[in-house]
Amino acid sequence: MYHFNKILAVAFIVLLTGCSIGGEKKIKIFSVEQPREKLDYPLPTPLQMEEIYWHIITSENAEEVFKKLEEAGIDPVLFGITDKDFQVLARNFAQIRQKLQETNNLLQEYQKYYEEEDNADSN
Amino acid sequence: MFGSIKLIFTVLIISSIAGAGMYVMKLRADNATLKANQIQLETAITEQNKVLEQQKEDFTAILESNKKLNVLINTFKKDLQDLDKRFTKKNRDIGKLAIERTKSIERIVNGGGKNAARCIELASGAEHTEAELKATLKSEINPECPSLANPNYVPFQ
Repeated sequence: MYHFNKILAVAFIVLLTGCSIGGEKKIKIFSVEQPREKLDYPLPTPLQMEEIYWHIITSENAEEVFKKLEEAGIDPVLFGITDKDFQVLARNFAQIRQKLQETNNLLQEYQKYYEEEDNADSN
Repeated sequence: MFGSIKLIFTVLIISSIAGAGMYVMKLRADNATLKANQIQLETAITEQNKVLEQQKEDFTAILESNKKLNVLINTFKKDLQDLDKRFTKKNRDIGKLAIERTKSIERIVNGGGKNAARCIELASGAEHTEAELKATLKSEINPECPSLANPNYVPFQ
């Protein structure tokens, strides 16, 4: 009977502590760095400019120019600018072109810098 | 009496052996920790060196990029000056010239317009044609934007 009680006591202790034998299992928390998704926009499509024709009208050739337009089936109307404004227009166009070139260049430089960095990281 | 001394000695010897064993085990554990630390330190140093190397490369790339952009902006200024010069060179008055030589000026203006349009295409990222790339003479270049259209053209200073 004495032995039975001892066994019972040990069994009871084991029953109570059974779940904690081997220690509590810990939840492992780990972080994995997920790189930001690439934007991957294609470079802007180059422009394709349409051709325009400049007519020069003076007081002497005006009639001839309008006659030619009528003969060609074009409305005899012209939207004109003076010689000074033509210079301004040329300058404005040059500035727009330069801005376009600058922006495109910046875009390429950014792409080159960051994509080469990505390539270096992946190597 | 002799039995007790023998027992004490035995206990002492056993304790000494056990102590020595534990000490050796402690030394081994310390050694393992030190080795692990050493490996970690070496790895950290290698990583730091890599970071420094990368930073150095990045700075060089940034400087180079800045230099390129500065060159580009200076080219823009020069192109605009050249454009102004074309209109005003030697007190040139394009209006008067257009009255005197209407047809030639019309041809020149249309040629210039075509070239300017091509410059915009190139600025927006269009590919150069073979002729544009090969152009080295003044007669072959696009005078509206030689630096952009004809990268192999070196203007005579």
